[in-house]
Amino acid sequence: MITIEDIELLSEEEFIEAEKTVEKLIAVWEVKNLRGRAAVFHDDQHINQPRKELKAMDHPSFDAEAEIAFRMKPVVDSLEGNMLIHPLTTPVIEVDETCKKARGTWWSLGIEGLSKYRETPMAILSLGMVPGTHVKMKGEWRILSGNWQRTTKNEYHAGWINDMQVTNTRPPLTKEQDRNFLGKYAYMKDEIRKPVPRPPYKDTWEEYPEETDPSWQYKDL
Amino acid sequence: MVDAERKQKLLMKINKLNAYTEIQNTMGRMIAALNFRQKEKVADFFALDQKDVSFEYADEGVFEGKDAVIAGIEYLLGSEVKPGEMIDLQLTTPVIEVADDCRTARALWWSPGAASVLRENEDPQAQWIWGDFAVDFIYEHDEWKIWHLHYFTLIHCDYHKGWVDDTSLINRPNTPMHDNAQPSTWHNPYHPKAIRYGIPAAPYPYETWKEEDRYWMLRNDKTR
Repeated sequence: MITIEDIELLSEEEFIEAEKTVEKLIAVWEVKNLRGRAAVFHDDQHINQPRKELKAMDHPSFDAEAEIAFRMKPVVDSLEGNMLIHPLTTPVIEVDETCKKARGTWWSLGIEGLSKYRETPMAILSLGMVPGTHVKMKGEWRILSGNWQRTTKNEYHAGWINDMQVTNTRPPLTKEQDRNFLGKYAYMKDEIRKPVPRPPYKDTWEEYPEETDPSWQYKDL
Repeated sequence: MVDAERKQKLLMKINKLNAYTEIQNTMGRMIAALNFRQKEKVADFFALDQKDVSFEYADEGVFEGKDAVIAGIEYLLGSEVKPGEMIDLQLTTPVIEVADDCRTARALWWSPGAASVLRENEDPQAQWIWGDFAVDFIYEHDEWKIWHLHYFTLIHCDYHKGWVDDTSLINRPNTPMHDNAQPSTWHNPYHPKAIRYGIPAAPYPYETWKEEDRYWMLRNDKTR
Protein backbone atom coordinates (compact mmCIF):
# COMPACT_ATOMS: atom_id res chain seq x y z
CA MET A 1 0.00 0.00 0.00
CA ILE A 2 1.50 3.32 -1.02
CA THR A 3 1.30 6.05 1.63
CA ILE A 4 1.69 9.81 1.55
CA GLU A 5 5.13 9.28 3.11
CA ASP A 6 6.18 7.28 0.05
CA ILE A 7 5.01 10.11 -2.18
CA GLU A 8 6.88 12.68 -0.06
CA LEU A 9 10.09 10.80 -0.84
CA LEU A 10 9.76 11.41 -4.60
CA SER A 11 11.78 14.14 -6.25
CA GLU A 12 9.77 16.66 -8.25
CA GLU A 13 10.82 14.95 -11.47
CA GLU A 14 9.81 11.52 -10.15
CA PHE A 15 6.51 12.92 -8.88
CA ILE A 16 5.64 14.37 -12.28
CA GLU A 17 6.51 11.09 -13.98
CA ALA A 18 4.39 9.13 -11.48
CA GLU A 19 1.53 11.57 -11.91
CA LYS A 20 1.61 11.14 -15.68
CA THR A 21 1.63 7.35 -15.45
CA VAL A 22 -1.31 7.40 -13.06
CA GLU A 23 -3.21 9.84 -15.29
CA LYS A 24 -2.81 7.48 -18.24
CA LEU A 25 -4.02 4.47 -16.29
CA ILE A 26 -7.02 6.42 -15.01
CA ALA A 27 -7.74 7.52 -18.58
CA VAL A 28 -7.83 3.91 -19.79
CA TRP A 29 -10.27 3.07 -16.98
CA GLU A 30 -12.47 6.08 -17.70
CA VAL A 31 -12.60 5.32 -21.42
CA LYS A 32 -13.70 1.76 -20.62
CA ASN A 33 -16.42 3.19 -18.37
CA LEU A 34 -17.46 5.59 -21.11
CA ARG A 35 -17.87 2.81 -23.66
CA GLY A 36 -19.71 0.67 -21.11
CA ARG A 37 -22.18 3.51 -20.52
CA ALA A 38 -22.57 3.91 -24.28
CA ALA A 39 -23.38 0.19 -24.56
CA VAL A 40 -26.16 0.57 -21.95
CA PHE A 41 -27.60 3.56 -23.83
CA HIS A 42 -27.38 1.65 -27.12
CA ASP A 43 -29.63 -1.08 -25.74
CA ASP A 44 -32.02 1.48 -24.22
CA GLN A 45 -33.48 2.81 -27.44
CA HIS A 46 -35.92 5.41 -26.05
CA ILE A 47 -35.32 8.21 -28.54
CA ASN A 48 -34.93 11.78 -27.32
CA GLN A 49 -35.02 10.76 -23.66
CA PRO A 50 -32.76 13.05 -21.61
CA ARG A 51 -29.49 11.32 -20.87
CA LYS A 52 -25.93 12.13 -20.00
CA GLU A 53 -24.04 13.28 -23.08
CA LEU A 54 -21.33 10.79 -24.00
CA LYS A 55 -20.26 12.26 -27.33
CA ALA A 56 -17.87 15.14 -28.01
CA MET A 57 -20.62 17.44 -29.27
CA ASP A 58 -18.48 20.56 -28.70
CA HIS A 59 -15.46 19.32 -30.63
CA PRO A 60 -14.91 21.39 -33.80
CA SER A 61 -14.92 18.29 -35.99
CA PHE A 62 -18.12 16.84 -34.54
CA ASP A 63 -21.34 17.19 -36.54
CA ALA A 64 -23.68 17.78 -33.59
CA GLU A 65 -26.61 18.67 -35.82
CA ALA A 66 -26.45 15.37 -37.67
CA GLU A 67 -26.05 13.52 -34.38
CA ILE A 68 -29.18 15.10 -32.93
CA ALA A 69 -31.16 14.43 -36.12
CA PHE A 70 -30.02 10.78 -36.02
CA ARG A 71 -31.13 10.41 -32.40
CA MET A 72 -34.62 11.76 -33.11
CA LYS A 73 -35.36 9.28 -35.88
CA PRO A 74 -37.18 6.06 -34.98
CA VAL A 75 -36.23 2.93 -36.91
CA VAL A 76 -38.92 0.69 -35.36
CA ASP A 77 -42.60 1.36 -34.63
CA SER A 78 -42.42 0.17 -31.05
CA LEU A 79 -39.63 -0.83 -28.70
CA GLU A 80 -41.55 -3.98 -27.81
CA GLY A 81 -39.34 -6.99 -28.52
CA ASN A 82 -36.32 -4.92 -29.46
CA MET A 83 -32.92 -5.46 -27.87
CA LEU A 84 -29.35 -4.51 -28.75
CA ILE A 85 -26.82 -6.16 -26.47
CA HIS A 86 -23.23 -5.88 -27.58
CA PRO A 87 -20.91 -6.79 -24.70
CA LEU A 88 -17.45 -5.24 -24.94
CA THR A 89 -14.42 -7.50 -24.70
CA THR A 90 -10.75 -7.53 -25.73
CA PRO A 91 -10.05 -3.82 -25.08
CA VAL A 92 -6.92 -2.21 -26.52
CA ILE A 93 -6.61 1.44 -25.49
CA GLU A 94 -3.78 3.91 -26.10
CA VAL A 95 -3.75 7.34 -24.48
CA ASP A 96 -1.61 10.19 -25.81
CA GLU A 97 1.09 11.99 -23.80
CA THR A 98 -1.23 14.85 -22.86
CA CYS A 99 -3.88 12.44 -21.55
CA LYS A 100 -6.45 14.28 -23.63
CA LYS A 101 -6.89 11.81 -26.47
CA ALA A 102 -7.37 8.05 -26.53
CA ARG A 103 -7.86 5.47 -29.24
CA GLY A 104 -9.38 2.09 -28.58
CA THR A 105 -10.77 -1.04 -30.10
CA TRP A 106 -13.11 -3.61 -28.60
CA TRP A 107 -14.52 -6.89 -29.92
CA SER A 108 -18.01 -8.07 -29.27
CA LEU A 109 -20.31 -11.08 -29.49
CA GLY A 110 -23.78 -9.59 -29.42
CA ILE A 111 -27.41 -10.61 -29.39
CA GLU A 112 -30.36 -8.68 -30.68
CA GLY A 113 -34.12 -8.80 -30.98
CA LEU A 114 -35.61 -6.89 -33.91
CA SER A 115 -39.30 -6.14 -34.40
CA LYS A 116 -39.88 -3.35 -36.93
CA TYR A 117 -43.67 -3.28 -36.98
CA ARG A 118 -44.66 -5.19 -33.81
CA GLU A 119 -44.28 -8.47 -35.67
CA THR A 120 -42.69 -11.41 -33.84
CA PRO A 121 -39.10 -10.29 -33.35
CA MET A 122 -36.18 -11.80 -35.19
CA ALA A 123 -33.43 -13.19 -32.95
CA ILE A 124 -30.11 -11.97 -34.30
CA LEU A 125 -26.57 -13.01 -33.43
CA SER A 126 -23.98 -10.40 -34.33
CA LEU A 127 -20.21 -10.33 -34.07
CA GLY A 128 -18.38 -7.07 -34.51
CA MET A 129 -15.89 -4.51 -33.31
CA VAL A 130 -15.98 -1.03 -31.85
CA PRO A 131 -13.05 1.14 -32.96
CA GLY A 132 -13.07 4.65 -31.59
CA THR A 133 -11.33 7.90 -30.74
CA HIS A 134 -12.07 9.66 -27.47
CA VAL A 135 -11.20 13.12 -26.22
CA LYS A 136 -11.18 14.67 -22.78
CA MET A 137 -13.26 17.85 -22.75
CA LYS A 138 -14.14 19.89 -19.66
CA GLY A 139 -12.67 17.15 -17.47
CA GLU A 140 -14.69 14.29 -18.98
CA TRP A 141 -13.95 11.70 -21.62
CA ARG A 142 -16.26 11.83 -24.62
CA ILE A 143 -16.63 9.74 -27.78
CA LEU A 144 -15.35 11.71 -30.75
CA SER A 145 -15.75 9.03 -33.39
CA GLY A 146 -16.14 5.32 -33.89
CA ASN A 147 -19.07 3.25 -35.05
CA TRP A 148 -20.00 -0.34 -34.67
CA GLN A 149 -18.15 -2.34 -37.32
CA ARG A 150 -20.09 -5.46 -38.17
CA THR A 151 -18.50 -8.84 -38.76
CA THR A 152 -21.69 -10.92 -38.82
CA LYS A 153 -25.38 -10.21 -38.30
CA ASN A 154 -27.46 -13.28 -38.87
CA GLU A 155 -30.87 -14.56 -38.01
CA TYR A 156 -30.01 -16.81 -35.10
CA HIS A 157 -31.00 -20.14 -36.68
CA ALA A 158 -29.70 -19.31 -40.16
CA GLY A 159 -26.09 -18.92 -39.00
CA TRP A 160 -23.43 -16.51 -40.19
CA ILE A 161 -22.25 -18.45 -43.23
CA ASN A 162 -25.47 -18.07 -45.15
CA ASP A 163 -27.23 -15.07 -43.69
CA MET A 164 -26.36 -11.38 -43.38
CA GLN A 165 -29.05 -9.02 -42.12
CA VAL A 166 -28.71 -5.39 -43.12
CA THR A 167 -28.68 -2.61 -40.53
CA ASN A 168 -32.25 -1.57 -39.81
CA THR A 169 -32.83 1.98 -41.08
CA ARG A 170 -35.71 3.99 -42.48
CA PRO A 171 -35.80 3.98 -45.45
CA PRO A 172 -34.22 0.51 -45.59
CA LEU A 173 -30.74 0.09 -47.01
CA THR A 174 -30.04 -1.98 -50.07
CA LYS A 175 -27.48 -4.76 -49.63
CA GLU A 176 -24.96 -2.61 -51.45
CA GLN A 177 -25.61 0.47 -49.32
CA ASP A 178 -25.38 -1.66 -46.20
CA ARG A 179 -22.10 -3.15 -47.32
CA ASN A 180 -20.70 0.36 -47.70
CA PHE A 181 -22.02 1.42 -44.30
CA LEU A 182 -21.50 -0.67 -41.15
CA GLY A 183 -20.94 -3.84 -43.17
CA LYS A 184 -17.92 -2.68 -45.10
CA TYR A 185 -15.59 -5.24 -43.51
CA ALA A 186 -18.21 -7.83 -42.70
CA TYR A 187 -17.69 -11.56 -43.14
CA MET A 188 -18.29 -12.96 -46.64
CA LYS A 189 -17.86 -16.64 -47.29
CA ASP A 190 -16.11 -16.06 -50.61
CA GLU A 191 -13.72 -13.31 -49.41
CA ILE A 192 -10.53 -13.16 -47.38
CA ARG A 193 -11.10 -11.17 -44.24
CA LYS A 194 -9.54 -7.71 -44.10
CA PRO A 195 -7.55 -6.74 -40.98
CA VAL A 196 -9.66 -3.74 -39.96
CA PRO A 197 -9.62 -2.19 -37.47
CA ARG A 198 -5.99 -2.57 -36.52
CA PRO A 199 -5.85 -2.11 -32.73
CA PRO A 200 -3.95 1.04 -31.70
CA TYR A 201 -0.28 0.30 -31.05
CA LYS A 202 1.95 2.15 -28.58
CA ASP A 203 3.13 4.58 -31.24
CA THR A 204 -0.33 5.38 -32.56
CA TRP A 205 -0.24 9.03 -31.38
CA GLU A 206 3.22 9.63 -32.83
CA GLU A 207 2.24 8.09 -36.13
CA TYR A 208 -1.22 9.63 -36.35
CA PRO A 209 -1.17 12.72 -34.11
CA GLU A 210 -4.52 14.17 -35.20
CA GLU A 211 -7.53 12.89 -33.27
CA THR A 212 -9.68 13.37 -36.36
CA ASP A 213 -7.51 11.06 -38.46
CA PRO A 214 -9.19 7.62 -38.73
CA SER A 215 -6.44 6.04 -40.85
CA TRP A 216 -4.79 4.28 -37.87
CA GLN A 217 -7.52 1.64 -38.20
CA TYR A 218 -6.58 0.82 -41.78
CA LYS A 219 -2.82 0.57 -41.55
CA ASP A 220 -2.76 -3.19 -42.20
CA LEU A 221 -4.78 -3.00 -45.39
CA MET B 1 7.16 22.90 -6.26
CA VAL B 2 4.53 20.21 -5.82
CA ASP B 3 2.01 21.20 -3.17
CA ALA B 4 0.38 18.96 -0.57
CA GLU B 5 -2.99 18.93 -2.28
CA ARG B 6 -1.48 17.60 -5.50
CA LYS B 7 0.30 14.88 -3.56
CA GLN B 8 -2.92 13.85 -1.81
CA LYS B 9 -4.68 13.76 -5.16
CA LEU B 10 -2.03 11.45 -6.60
CA LEU B 11 -2.31 9.16 -3.59
CA MET B 12 -6.08 9.00 -3.98
CA LYS B 13 -5.74 8.11 -7.66
CA ILE B 14 -3.21 5.37 -6.92
CA ASN B 15 -5.51 3.94 -4.27
CA LYS B 16 -8.41 4.06 -6.71
CA LEU B 17 -6.39 2.25 -9.38
CA ASN B 18 -5.45 -0.45 -6.90
CA ALA B 19 -9.10 -0.78 -5.94
CA TYR B 20 -10.09 -0.98 -9.62
CA THR B 21 -7.80 -3.95 -10.19
CA GLU B 22 -8.63 -5.69 -6.92
CA ILE B 23 -12.38 -5.35 -7.44
CA GLN B 24 -12.15 -6.93 -10.89
CA ASN B 25 -10.03 -9.75 -9.52
CA THR B 26 -12.42 -10.32 -6.61
CA MET B 27 -15.40 -10.44 -8.93
CA GLY B 28 -13.53 -12.68 -11.39
CA ARG B 29 -12.65 -15.11 -8.61
CA MET B 30 -16.22 -15.13 -7.33
CA ILE B 31 -17.54 -15.89 -10.82
CA ALA B 32 -15.01 -18.71 -11.22
CA ALA B 33 -16.16 -20.15 -7.88
CA LEU B 34 -19.79 -19.81 -8.96
CA ASN B 35 -19.10 -21.51 -12.30
CA PHE B 36 -17.27 -24.33 -10.49
CA ARG B 37 -20.15 -24.57 -8.01
CA GLN B 38 -17.95 -23.87 -4.98
CA LYS B 39 -20.67 -22.43 -2.76
CA GLU B 40 -18.51 -21.86 0.34
CA LYS B 41 -15.99 -19.93 -1.72
CA VAL B 42 -18.75 -17.82 -3.27
CA ALA B 43 -20.04 -16.90 0.20
CA ASP B 44 -16.51 -15.96 1.34
CA PHE B 45 -16.41 -13.11 -1.20
CA PHE B 46 -19.37 -11.42 0.47
CA ALA B 47 -19.06 -8.82 3.25
CA LEU B 48 -20.88 -11.08 5.68
CA ASP B 49 -20.06 -8.78 8.62
CA GLN B 50 -22.21 -6.05 7.09
CA LYS B 51 -25.72 -6.16 8.51
CA ASP B 52 -27.28 -5.33 5.13
CA VAL B 53 -25.10 -7.57 2.97
CA SER B 54 -27.35 -8.79 0.19
CA PHE B 55 -27.70 -10.97 -2.85
CA GLU B 56 -30.52 -10.66 -5.37
CA TYR B 57 -30.90 -13.19 -8.16
CA ALA B 58 -33.33 -12.54 -11.02
CA ASP B 59 -36.87 -13.11 -9.70
CA GLU B 60 -35.79 -15.40 -6.87
CA GLY B 61 -35.89 -12.37 -4.57
CA VAL B 62 -33.49 -10.50 -2.32
CA PHE B 63 -31.50 -12.37 0.30
CA GLU B 64 -30.41 -9.80 2.89
CA GLY B 65 -28.25 -10.36 5.97
CA LYS B 66 -25.55 -12.96 6.57
CA ASP B 67 -27.86 -15.91 7.15
CA ALA B 68 -30.08 -15.08 4.18
CA VAL B 69 -27.12 -14.63 1.82
CA ILE B 70 -25.69 -18.00 2.83
CA ALA B 71 -29.14 -19.58 2.51
CA GLY B 72 -29.62 -18.01 -0.91
CA ILE B 73 -26.29 -19.28 -2.18
CA GLU B 74 -27.09 -22.72 -0.80
CA TYR B 75 -30.49 -22.59 -2.52
CA LEU B 76 -28.98 -21.74 -5.91
CA LEU B 77 -25.70 -23.64 -5.83
CA GLY B 78 -26.17 -26.20 -3.07
CA SER B 79 -27.45 -29.23 -4.95
CA GLU B 80 -25.08 -32.07 -5.67
CA VAL B 81 -23.08 -31.49 -8.86
CA LYS B 82 -23.62 -34.23 -11.40
CA PRO B 83 -21.79 -35.26 -14.59
CA GLY B 84 -22.86 -33.23 -17.60
CA GLU B 85 -23.79 -30.10 -15.65
CA MET B 86 -22.19 -26.81 -16.52
CA ILE B 87 -22.69 -23.14 -15.84
CA ASP B 88 -20.32 -20.67 -17.48
CA LEU B 89 -20.94 -16.98 -16.78
CA GLN B 90 -18.42 -14.42 -18.04
CA LEU B 91 -17.76 -10.80 -17.13
CA THR B 92 -17.57 -8.14 -19.85
CA THR B 93 -18.26 -4.43 -20.40
CA PRO B 94 -17.09 -3.26 -16.96
CA VAL B 95 -18.22 0.12 -15.66
CA ILE B 96 -16.60 0.62 -12.27
CA GLU B 97 -16.66 3.66 -9.99
CA VAL B 98 -14.60 3.75 -6.82
CA ALA B 99 -15.69 6.39 -4.28
CA ASP B 100 -13.20 9.19 -3.70
CA ASP B 101 -12.80 7.99 -0.09
CA CYS B 102 -11.91 4.50 -1.41
CA ARG B 103 -14.25 2.88 1.14
CA THR B 104 -16.87 1.63 -1.34
CA ALA B 105 -17.26 1.03 -5.07
CA ARG B 106 -20.04 0.42 -7.55
CA ALA B 107 -19.72 -1.78 -10.60
CA LEU B 108 -21.65 -3.12 -13.54
CA TRP B 109 -20.75 -6.02 -15.79
CA TRP B 110 -22.62 -7.54 -18.71
CA SER B 111 -22.44 -11.29 -18.54
CA PRO B 112 -22.85 -13.57 -21.53
CA GLY B 113 -23.12 -17.16 -20.39
CA ALA B 114 -23.99 -20.73 -21.25
CA ALA B 115 -25.12 -23.76 -19.33
CA SER B 116 -25.83 -27.47 -19.59
CA VAL B 117 -28.79 -28.57 -17.52
CA LEU B 118 -29.58 -32.22 -16.85
CA ARG B 119 -32.78 -33.81 -18.10
CA GLU B 120 -34.29 -37.23 -17.50
CA ASN B 121 -33.59 -39.89 -20.14
CA GLU B 122 -31.99 -37.53 -22.64
CA ASP B 123 -28.89 -35.44 -23.11
CA PRO B 124 -28.43 -32.31 -21.03
CA GLN B 125 -30.15 -29.21 -22.35
CA ALA B 126 -27.81 -26.56 -23.75
CA GLN B 127 -28.94 -23.13 -22.58
CA TRP B 128 -27.99 -19.52 -23.02
CA ILE B 129 -27.86 -17.62 -19.73
CA TRP B 130 -27.06 -13.96 -20.29
CA GLY B 131 -27.45 -11.29 -17.67
CA ASP B 132 -25.91 -8.36 -15.83
CA PHE B 133 -24.22 -7.97 -12.48
CA ALA B 134 -24.68 -4.71 -10.57
CA VAL B 135 -22.56 -4.81 -7.43
CA ASP B 136 -21.63 -2.62 -4.47
CA PHE B 137 -18.27 -3.36 -2.92
CA ILE B 138 -17.02 -2.35 0.50
CA TYR B 139 -13.45 -2.27 1.78
CA GLU B 140 -13.19 -4.09 5.08
CA HIS B 141 -10.40 -5.95 6.86
CA ASP B 142 -7.94 -4.83 4.15
CA GLU B 143 -9.85 -6.31 1.24
CA TRP B 144 -12.69 -5.55 -1.14
CA LYS B 145 -15.83 -7.53 -0.44
CA ILE B 146 -19.15 -7.87 -2.23
CA TRP B 147 -21.67 -5.86 -0.23
CA HIS B 148 -24.79 -5.90 -2.40
CA LEU B 149 -24.98 -8.06 -5.51
CA HIS B 150 -27.86 -7.99 -7.95
CA TYR B 151 -27.93 -10.39 -10.89
CA PHE B 152 -30.37 -9.39 -13.64
CA THR B 153 -31.48 -12.02 -16.16
CA LEU B 154 -31.33 -10.85 -19.77
CA ILE B 155 -32.01 -14.07 -21.67
CA HIS B 156 -32.40 -17.63 -20.44
CA CYS B 157 -33.38 -20.03 -23.17
CA ASP B 158 -32.80 -23.29 -24.94
CA TYR B 159 -29.69 -22.86 -27.11
CA HIS B 160 -31.33 -24.38 -30.18
CA LYS B 161 -34.57 -22.37 -29.94
CA GLY B 162 -33.05 -18.98 -29.06
CA TRP B 163 -34.32 -16.05 -27.00
CA VAL B 164 -37.32 -15.15 -29.13
CA ASP B 165 -38.80 -18.64 -29.52
CA ASP B 166 -38.12 -19.86 -26.00
CA THR B 167 -39.19 -17.69 -23.08
CA SER B 168 -40.07 -20.60 -20.83
CA LEU B 169 -37.06 -20.12 -18.58
CA ILE B 170 -37.01 -16.37 -17.94
CA ASN B 171 -39.20 -16.57 -14.84
CA ARG B 172 -38.81 -18.82 -11.84
CA PRO B 173 -41.27 -21.73 -11.60
CA ASN B 174 -44.48 -20.91 -9.78
CA THR B 175 -43.40 -22.63 -6.59
CA PRO B 176 -43.15 -21.09 -3.10
CA MET B 177 -40.44 -18.49 -2.68
CA HIS B 178 -37.51 -19.27 -0.41
CA ASP B 179 -38.34 -18.41 3.20
CA ASN B 180 -35.43 -15.97 3.39
CA ALA B 181 -36.25 -14.13 0.17
CA GLN B 182 -37.79 -10.68 0.07
CA PRO B 183 -39.55 -9.42 -3.08
CA SER B 184 -37.37 -8.75 -6.12
CA THR B 185 -36.58 -5.10 -6.88
CA TRP B 186 -36.53 -5.52 -10.68
CA HIS B 187 -37.00 -8.34 -13.18
CA ASN B 188 -37.41 -7.45 -16.85
CA PRO B 189 -35.62 -10.04 -18.97
CA TYR B 190 -35.81 -9.91 -22.73
CA HIS B 191 -39.20 -11.07 -23.98
CA PRO B 192 -40.71 -10.55 -27.44
CA LYS B 193 -43.53 -8.55 -25.83
CA ALA B 194 -41.43 -6.55 -23.35
CA ILE B 195 -39.65 -3.19 -23.62
CA ARG B 196 -36.11 -2.71 -22.36
CA TYR B 197 -35.14 0.26 -20.20
CA GLY B 198 -31.35 0.22 -19.99
CA ILE B 199 -31.54 -1.25 -16.50
CA PRO B 200 -29.28 -2.00 -14.74
CA ALA B 201 -27.94 1.49 -15.23
CA ALA B 202 -24.22 2.23 -15.14
CA PRO B 203 -22.81 3.70 -11.91
CA TYR B 204 -21.68 7.33 -11.92
CA PRO B 205 -18.68 8.90 -10.15
CA TYR B 206 -19.26 9.61 -6.45
CA GLU B 207 -17.39 10.87 -3.42
CA THR B 208 -18.72 8.73 -0.61
CA TRP B 209 -21.47 6.21 0.05
CA LYS B 210 -24.93 7.63 0.63
CA GLU B 211 -27.83 5.38 1.47
CA GLU B 212 -30.12 7.43 -0.77
CA ASP B 213 -28.14 6.16 -3.78
CA ARG B 214 -28.40 2.52 -2.70
CA TYR B 215 -30.39 1.55 -5.80
CA TRP B 216 -28.30 3.37 -8.41
CA MET B 217 -28.61 0.36 -10.73
CA LEU B 218 -32.40 0.73 -10.95
CA ARG B 219 -32.59 4.39 -11.84
CA ASN B 220 -34.26 5.20 -15.13
CA ASP B 221 -32.89 8.74 -15.06
CA LYS B 222 -29.94 8.52 -17.45
CA THR B 223 -28.80 12.10 -17.00
CA ARG B 224 -26.03 11.47 -14.44
